[in-house]
Amino acid sequence: MKFKFHPALAITLLILGFFVFVPMISAFEYSIRTPAEGGYGWNNYLWAIREEEFLYYILRSLWLSGVTVLITLFVLVPTLTWLHLSNSKVRGLIDGLSLLPLVIPVVAFAVGAQIAFPDFVKDTVLELPFLYFVLALPYAYRALDIGLNAIPLKTITEAARSSGANWLRTITSVIIPVIRGSVMATIALTFALSLGEFTLTVLLHWDTFPTWVTYVAQENILGAIAISMMSLIIPFLILTMVTLFIPERSTQRRK
Amino acid sequence: MTHKVIEEGAPLRGRAFLASFIKSFLPAAPLLLIVGFFFLFPIARLIHVSFLSNENTFTIGNFITATQEPYRTGFVNSIKIGLFSAAIAALPGAIAAYFIETRGSSKLRRTIAVMNGVLANTGGIPLAFMFYAALGIQGQLTKILKFFGWDLYSGTFSLGSFIGLLIVYLYFQLPLMIIVFSPAIVSLRREWSEAARNLGASQLNYWIRIGIPLLFPSFIASSLLLFASGFSAYATANALTVGNLPLTPLQIGGLLDGNVSAAQLNLGKALGVVMILISACAVIPYLAIQRRSARWQK
Repeated sequence: MKFKFHPALAITLLILGFFVFVPMISAFEYSIRTPAEGGYGWNNYLWAIREEEFLYYILRSLWLSGVTVLITLFVLVPTLTWLHLSNSKVRGLIDGLSLLPLVIPVVAFAVGAQIAFPDFVKDTVLELPFLYFVLALPYAYRALDIGLNAIPLKTITEAARSSGANWLRTITSVIIPVIRGSVMATIALTFALSLGEFTLTVLLHWDTFPTWVTYVAQENILGAIAISMMSLIIPFLILTMVTLFIPERSTQRRK
Repeated sequence: MTHKVIEEGAPLRGRAFLASFIKSFLPAAPLLLIVGFFFLFPIARLIHVSFLSNENTFTIGNFITATQEPYRTGFVNSIKIGLFSAAIAALPGAIAAYFIETRGSSKLRRTIAVMNGVLANTGGIPLAFMFYAALGIQGQLTKILKFFGWDLYSGTFSLGSFIGLLIVYLYFQLPLMIIVFSPAIVSLRREWSEAARNLGASQLNYWIRIGIPLLFPSFIASSLLLFASGFSAYATANALTVGNLPLTPLQIGGLLDGNVSAAQLNLGKALGVVMILISACAVIPYLAIQRRSARWQK
């Protein structure tokens, strides 16, 4: 496709860009200040990376997000496949249930989570991936649902099953590759949501990378700004990589 | 596919019914168990506890206190910031979504989609820093505006005030609007505008008779979702305000942390339940409209 200049699009992007980038660049300018020497440098970023907790919290956030993605895929792909194939009466119920987390403000959910769970759940950080799973459920469910709707699922599974594949193999090496666009989108949004989740995490008194910034801010404000910039850039890079892997065809509705 | 046959057969009784019942639920069991335990159970418990007094007897006292000061102002402010931020972001977001989806190249659209995904999720301290750096007292934009003779801080403006918070909320509301409204734009088919033109409609005619009526439900639905997002935002408000602006999510957070004490231990839960009710008033119509318009968005 040839590039064509559209004035309306250009103006839209200019205004949006101004609104988005002015605060971002302003904060970036602060983050590269070096007050001791005057001028600019990467000191604040180096300081942040050298902090002992930096690696600890970033790894913790990454593995918690990874677990959330695994739970999402392990639970949703087989369940949705089954729902699509069986036309079960529970499909309507589960469709509705999957959207319910949108209705509940995260603050209210956090209060409920704090009073409801028994100690053995509350005492392990592993409660977070399950709660993140709930928060991401409306989006993840819909992304996979669209993917499964767009393919001749019944034909594909019957072909795989009659070629001798068991259910596990059918799902892992037939269904997931066929809907890889949706799977990638699901991974991207679940991962991004878990990586940046703040409200639930902080109200349940857990510390992850996004909540760690709060403590740093009390100690070294420029360092905290540097960390904040990284917390914007890291999900952006991860999401860009993931979406680049999505083949164009499967992300778009067939027209 | 065997149970499908069973279901379509004669009505089942007793153990046969139970067997088919289990069979038609069992594959959904992991999902139902997780959602049940990690979502429905906490919400049910929240609702239950909100009706308990300090002595664990039934009371509606928590809800009565929740409608009194300072919690009443908290709700009014939260609803106001949800409404205003949705109203301000909705139209520009919709127009931006239209130009991006109809004029943008595929590469541009995908890049913007990723950026919007990140931006709609920004909040809390990083977002507060960005706006302090731009519009704080020592902010870059503040200095530029001052240079041109507009002193933002000559009056009562601060980023922690209602107006300040409103501006900051737009930073995630606008991308959110573009995300939720874009599918409606994509499903507007070119054939429709061509057909209208062939029948002699002008561009304006097309928009008044076809475009806007088709997009309007999705526009309202998206605005409702924006309201819910602005109404329940916690992290950003927590980072920017210093107790000067009563907002319900912050009040709940304070009660939960024990930073604020109330005579009624379960007041925070009642506030949470009221928040759910208000949020439901926006999100349930949003979902209903989405479902309806999904019929022609295929």
